[in-house]
Amino acid sequence: MALETNPPSIHGAGPEPTAVAPSTPSFELVFRPSVALITIVRRFVSEFYSRVIDDADVAGRLALATHELLENAAKYTTGGETYLHVDLDRASGAVTVRTRNRTDPARIEVLVRSFDALSRAADPSAHYNSMLRRSALQAHGSGLGLARIRCEGEMSLDLVVTDDLVEINARGSIPAGAQS
Amino acid sequence: MSTMASTDAFTIAVSSGPSALHVCLAGDANMNAVDQLGHSLTDVHGKAVLAGASEVVVDLRQLEFMNSACFKKIVTWITRVEEVEAGARYRIRFLSNPKIHWQRRSLHALHMFAIDLVSVDV
Repeated sequence: MALETNPPSIHGAGPEPTAVAPSTPSFELVFRPSVALITIVRRFVSEFYSRVIDDADVAGRLALATHELLENAAKYTTGGETYLHVDLDRASGAVTVRTRNRTDPARIEVLVRSFDALSRAADPSAHYNSMLRRSALQAHGSGLGLARIRCEGEMSLDLVVTDDLVEINARGSIPAGAQS
Repeated sequence: MSTMASTDAFTIAVSSGPSALHVCLAGDANMNAVDQLGHSLTDVHGKAVLAGASEVVVDLRQLEFMNSACFKKIVTWITRVEEVEAGARYRIRFLSNPKIHWQRRSLHALHMFAIDLVSVDV
């Protein structure tokens, strides 16, 4: 599939994943989404994580979470652009993955409901399992992305809505000793 | 007998053995692959039931990634197997690649979803 879009612009980094400061490896991407570009970004993100995190399992779960966030943002954006920001704080081991995009009121309503369900479900595994059961009955969409991020990605999630602008933050931690 | 289908970055190949069907997924199961995967798994289920297969082996060792929409297709398939009468039900065995790290967590979730039907070989 041909790229329909501008190539990703990388702020604060060169073509290779580069730490902007020794204590906080990070990057930001702004791009006009397409399926092909999401795959390219996922590979880039996976490479980034594998460079800054020694534990391949941790790097893998962060890559999965980043892909799910990015794909949802790209799928539902109405403004054309999707923003992705990732940073890892070496001092605390905290990692934040943030997507931001404009979307329509119906999508915002779905997100608000999904986050409400997440907040009421104390056990990520039980919630994910219940979402798997529910998703099998849905004709359209999976509705699994957020539950998958929380359970498989071991990340907490929050939603910020400002008019038609949606920001989702996924926050997790890197175990001590897992950083490169 | 074998069939094969693919998108730009995803392939699914199905072949029949004496008592099991073999399904091989490879590449990137992304948004482009969702419909193909769903149709293929519906086809696999029909063949497995018709043949009285005891097992379907799903080889993921060359599958780089699977998004949640494709993952849902797997879940839907497992749910269909659960609906088959107990004596005619087949098991699903996933072959995983320990070097592809998302597989461990995602396949564990599938195993927990249908513990009597789904097993995972590492």
